[in-house]
Amino acid sequence: MGGRRLSLVAICLAVAAVLLGAAGAGQASLRRGKVEVQPARTYGYLDLGRQKGYRLVLYVPNKRVVVIYGFRLDRVRSENFGIRYSLYAVRNRGDLEQGVVRGRFGALGRVDLHFRPNGKVSKDEPPSGCEGGSETAKSGSFVGQLSFRGSGNYFHVSSSKGRAYLAHSPRLRCEPGRAEEVPPGSPRRYVTPSPLISDRHSIALFDASGNSHGRAVRISAVHQEGSPPGAEVQVGIVESRHGVAIGHGIYLEGGRGTLLTSLPGAHPATATLAPPAPFFGKGVYSEENQSWSGSLGVRLAGLKVPLTGPGFRMHLCVANPLKDRNGCEYFKGEPPADERAARPGWVLR
Amino acid sequence: MRALRVAVAVLALVVFAGFGGGAAAVAKGRAPERWLDMDLQGSDGYSVHISSGPSGHLNLEVSKGWFAATYVTRDQLAAPDRVKAQLRGLGTVSVRFHPRGPVRQPTTPYCSKKQRPTLQPGLVRGTIKFAGERDYVRVEADEAKASIEESKRGSCRYASPPPEFDPRERDWASKFTASGDGVFFLARRYQPGAIPTGDALYFTETGELFKETPALPWLLIWREIKVPAPASTFQDAHPEHLTISPPPPFSGTGSFARTPESVFTWTGDLALQFPGLDPIPLAGSGFEPGYCLRESGCIDQHLD
Repeated sequence: MGGRRLSLVAICLAVAAVLLGAAGAGQASLRRGKVEVQPARTYGYLDLGRQKGYRLVLYVPNKRVVVIYGFRLDRVRSENFGIRYSLYAVRNRGDLEQGVVRGRFGALGRVDLHFRPNGKVSKDEPPSGCEGGSETAKSGSFVGQLSFRGSGNYFHVSSSKGRAYLAHSPRLRCEPGRAEEVPPGSPRRYVTPSPLISDRHSIALFDASGNSHGRAVRISAVHQEGSPPGAEVQVGIVESRHGVAIGHGIYLEGGRGTLLTSLPGAHPATATLAPPAPFFGKGVYSEENQSWSGSLGVRLAGLKVPLTGPGFRMHLCVANPLKDRNGCEYFKGEPPADERAARPGWVLR
Repeated sequence: MRALRVAVAVLALVVFAGFGGGAAAVAKGRAPERWLDMDLQGSDGYSVHISSGPSGHLNLEVSKGWFAATYVTRDQLAAPDRVKAQLRGLGTVSVRFHPRGPVRQPTTPYCSKKQRPTLQPGLVRGTIKFAGERDYVRVEADEAKASIEESKRGSCRYASPPPEFDPRERDWASKFTASGDGVFFLARRYQPGAIPTGDALYFTETGELFKETPALPWLLIWREIKVPAPASTFQDAHPEHLTISPPPPFSGTGSFARTPESVFTWTGDLALQFPGLDPIPLAGSGFEPGYCLRESGCIDQHLD
């Protein structure tokens, strides 16, 4: 859904670009009616170091939002890949153009920082297919107050001494499809999870979403055709507390026994989900009772969240690869992976 | 075993690269390719064909009916009219060619007139001794009919398909494959009457490489067998479950099925007995199975 909304914004901007292009056609080497505009943007970054396996970052994607995020890469049984993340987003009350970042994270902490450049400036040419000037990034440091603890006092951040920069990207005119999406201005948009799992060619898929202790929770598990025993599992947890948008998530590749289902055509259909740590317990889905029960839960940074219960909506797909050539494709209405990867939780620098 | 399979594949590439290199050499005006071929009759109805070519390898092919085995080793001389090779405890070939009669230029299917080879008939004299594993075949001779084939503009030697190939065999309705270390199993089911030999066809090929030691040269053995059978040996009425029970020299049953993990397993006691060998298992966790319906697509299961 979010991706669609962003696309609408992009379309509106493209239309605006056409009108602007008509006014200043003499400077444009791109043909009129064939451009979209990437608006000017200022953004900031501060490396907050590592804690408990998480890399912590303060990210100011635009003048309106401040995000503190942490992510951690895991290896399960030395070969399977996993990632955990936590995101906290609030309104920026400072003037980022002047290098000021102010955010109140309620009881979790606060940020009141001022950027001080150290004189080093790097320039990047506009991306391929765009024109309009170079992006400049000023290196330096943030000074001021920073205190952040995160959910359950899991993190303790009080220093802003890490590597920092403040970047400015000018307004660019781009070929259609080349412009970057405008970073959303709503803090909640930065913590809303999207599927990291591709369900194309999946032959077993279980998805459950609902509310657990005031948090929106979604768990998905997918087994791809031809892959060894096991399943990819993702959990996204979102909540809003005192003006702070909070998101936690995990993706991992679970081994044998992670997802067991009834066979195609069997009714009542059943599924059992038992991913490895940091998950615990087991969830059982029954088509007959329309129930999703059991002890399944997950431990994430400062949280222990049950993942089953009566308030969940469930979907189970068990596809026959010879009949359903594209697999379950349950997520296909949601934003594609390349859009999801651009979210702040995944900007690796 | 995986290393062995890789080694076999690499060696096969070397062997075939040798063939291709020869053709390229001819095209660049270098020496033409020469092949020395010998035909003999082995014991128990087996035919034996021995050849040595520009790659410097000796091939000894044993065949009978749907079975064929090829033993490949290094030709120590690699001369156009002489062969000397040790078949690692299975025998020796050490002969010299003697021409008899005029050179011919026979018509070869799938070969243009420009590429047509010349053939010098004759015989070889020397020592030919070969005994297959557990003596399933024996051949011993000090003289045999032979010929030297020479190609001036690229070889047509591998241009034509094997004579037993029937193009209708490509029109399978469903098929199953299982690949293991050095073993490939293929089963095909056909629409009734599509091929004359039966409604199912089973094919197995194995490759086995014995590495060179200070005392012994390397030896590569390819074995293959193709067996026609009735459709009842290939049961795939259920869309995700298949049972295969081919006739001798196969034995036992293989079963392809989906588990609650949505993994497709290939289990059972299916085995194949090549002449002179113990039965080779063709099912189990070491095999990567694949199942295809012509009208629908394929299921391919990868190993851990």
